[in-house]
Amino acid sequence: MFAYVVRRIIATIPVMAVVALFVFSLLFIAPGDPAAVIAGDQATPEQIERIRQSLGLDRPFLVQFSEWVWRLLHFDLGRSIFTNLPVTTMIAQRIEPTLSLTLITLVLSVIVAVPIGVLAAWKAGSFVDRAIMGFAVFGFSVPVFVIGYLLAYFFALELEWLPVQGYTPFAHGFVPWLENLILPSIALGCVYIALIARITRATMLEVLQQDYIRTARAKGLAQTPILFIHALKNASVPIVTVIGIGIALLIGGAVVTESVFAIPGLGRLTVDAILRRDYPVIQGIVLLFSFVYVLVNLGVDLIYTLIDPRIRY
Amino acid sequence: MDRRTFLKASAGAGAFAAAGGLSAPAIAQGAAKTLRFVPQANLANFDPIWGTQYVVRNAAVLVWDTLYGFDENLKPQRQMVESEETSSDGLTWTFKLRPGLKFHDGEPVLAKDVVASLTRWSSRDTMGLMLKALQQELVAVDDRTVKWVLKKPYPKMLLALAKNSTPMAFIMPERIAKTDPFKQIEEYIGSGPMKFAKGEWVPGAKAVFEKFADYKPRDEKASWLAGGKNMLIDRIEWVVMPDPATAAAALQNGEVDWWENPITDLVPLLKKNRNVAVDIADPLGNIGAFRMNHLHPPFNDVKVRRAVLMALDQEEYMRALVGDDNSLWKPLPGYFTPGTPLYSEAGGEILKGKRDLAAAKKLLAESSYKGEPVTCIVAQDQPITKAQGDVTAELLKRLGMNVDFVATDWGTTGQRRALKSPPGQGGWGMFHTWHAGADCLNPAVYIAIRATGEKAWFGWPDVPAVETEVNNWFEAKNLDEEKAIIARLNKAALDSVVYAPTGFFLTYQAWRKNISGIGKGPIPFAWGVSKTA
Repeated sequence: MFAYVVRRIIATIPVMAVVALFVFSLLFIAPGDPAAVIAGDQATPEQIERIRQSLGLDRPFLVQFSEWVWRLLHFDLGRSIFTNLPVTTMIAQRIEPTLSLTLITLVLSVIVAVPIGVLAAWKAGSFVDRAIMGFAVFGFSVPVFVIGYLLAYFFALELEWLPVQGYTPFAHGFVPWLENLILPSIALGCVYIALIARITRATMLEVLQQDYIRTARAKGLAQTPILFIHALKNASVPIVTVIGIGIALLIGGAVVTESVFAIPGLGRLTVDAILRRDYPVIQGIVLLFSFVYVLVNLGVDLIYTLIDPRIRY
Repeated sequence: MDRRTFLKASAGAGAFAAAGGLSAPAIAQGAAKTLRFVPQANLANFDPIWGTQYVVRNAAVLVWDTLYGFDENLKPQRQMVESEETSSDGLTWTFKLRPGLKFHDGEPVLAKDVVASLTRWSSRDTMGLMLKALQQELVAVDDRTVKWVLKKPYPKMLLALAKNSTPMAFIMPERIAKTDPFKQIEEYIGSGPMKFAKGEWVPGAKAVFEKFADYKPRDEKASWLAGGKNMLIDRIEWVVMPDPATAAAALQNGEVDWWENPITDLVPLLKKNRNVAVDIADPLGNIGAFRMNHLHPPFNDVKVRRAVLMALDQEEYMRALVGDDNSLWKPLPGYFTPGTPLYSEAGGEILKGKRDLAAAKKLLAESSYKGEPVTCIVAQDQPITKAQGDVTAELLKRLGMNVDFVATDWGTTGQRRALKSPPGQGGWGMFHTWHAGADCLNPAVYIAIRATGEKAWFGWPDVPAVETEVNNWFEAKNLDEEKAIIARLNKAALDSVVYAPTGFFLTYQAWRKNISGIGKGPIPFAWGVSKTA
């Protein structure tokens, strides 16, 4: 197992290299000019060109790429073209809100989605099943920002239970931290809950048809242990897979959620960087997200071995 | 549900809450000495010479001071300067600094700091570049005296040092001001009324300013960038909010105190909230514009440009920008900011009265236009450019032109508009923008009116008559002379269509009613602003 983990981690290196090359090339050929943004609307073309030269953006692709790779090999993601801050500092400033948002959303989603998915499968064809699947369709169909506005309307403005926007660091207290994250997590979690609930239902329906479930029932086992111990455990592999895949959804959704709730996370940093063509920041964030995604996939593979003893690496 | 309806619905809760007399939640209560301000954009960098976006300038006026500052009558007034002298031949300017001025690091402001700062500024600013070209010597005579010797008189000296268009002539410590003007500074030490809390800066989210205890305000009453900049607030937190509906909700809920630029769609809701005040932000407003590429067909033919101007209905543009609020716009048959001394309508007949599409079509038929596609670049991520672009596309179609509508973002527009290649080879035919009224007061700050051909602003108009009048204006001795010159300039610019003005429009600002002292101006001035709990 240990050897497998080490192999998988080593295997991330070529993946990251391809991502790095791809991201750098894409940004190089993409239209847009950070120098023009920096210079402002009143700048002359000559001034913009001077800024471009001072930033080294006028140099050939290979020169810029090799310099970037060299820095990367020294764990240096460079500095933001705009803020002049190290990209690592900017990511560090933003990682806590995004991590908090995604973790709470993940926990909330799993806690809600798995039981309702199981319930829907158990009560398949009933009103409860249809209501849960109706909610799932709603979660898939309604954009995150619409849910966000609706939640803010009722719970922040009308009921005044929670703040409209912002983020309070965990270090300033658990309650204020949580207060700022409840609405964004629900908004972001809707689609995720829908996805996991549907997969849980579908997988459970299949498992509940198995002979060993019939045997368990024939033995007179109670419904709860049948559902949550016997059936759910065997249905877990696809569910865990979907949860893993869903991390990408969360990262994408965080971009919108962070904008709607003014949370200073990596999602907003990504959008700002793209709009301004802040190349080092975009490259740093995409590499980070890729690395996280590779790690999540590795984690999912390892979880398989815990829930299904037949799987061995 | 359209965008406007949705935004109103989503932000409407605040109006409901206020109407119901509900108090703001405890989480929204901040200290009375902390002002939470939502700026127009993200403070992505903080070097007001290197980066000349308005948002940088607006933050910079808190941290850095200037030798002179514009008052609300657009007159330069002394700020850091105690007195000035001009030699009889107009070639030597001597400035004496006020005593006791200090930087945020405790060091005194010295003449050598002024010399270094003006040297850096004059490498980037249009007026500064003119001064640099005329400069014979810029030296510190003693700790408080600076001498600037020119080869030729420059009557607009005080205007250059006081202007609020970017980049402003901010004074920094010598060690910082010696930074290459095309590279960013890394220390944010000024002598202004607020210190920049660099440790709390999260670009894209938050910027914090703290009161500078040793700031020495002038005795005169504050007026824009002039007079005593007395800070009644200990701390200002800039909270960046990319989503207007969220900003509106946060303001209504008391989570922020002052919003610099609420979008017009949300203003009716804010006005209904009894805890929120709404007023015009900047009386100098903005001038909507699209620029045509004078280098390539079809707009290298003045007949085509004039045909477009003849068909252009400014009301259509302004309605697209500000909706039904008639107090927010006015027609602009000229190029200079309405309500300011140099405003002129000379030559503006082409933009006045009922639009004559038939005459415009006739003129277009007489031109060299042969139906080639017009590459119309429209940045979709800027509401002002998007609204104008949609109107222009319709205008060109009505006129019978073949429109190649390029929907893109502002970053791409910024790059593409700099390309001088023909439209079919990556270049462009027209793009949309707007100019702050404060940048259209006179030719010195108005880069968009310049017509120096390939050295001009994007579109590269080449109109010698315009440039002659610009040069005449710099030499003008009094306001009457200036007005006469500007009238000729305005006419020449409209005759050759340096660019197409689409109208003059204003924007709002909004704040909680427990905030007082907020004025109107081209910058959200924080001095004199106070807050009650």
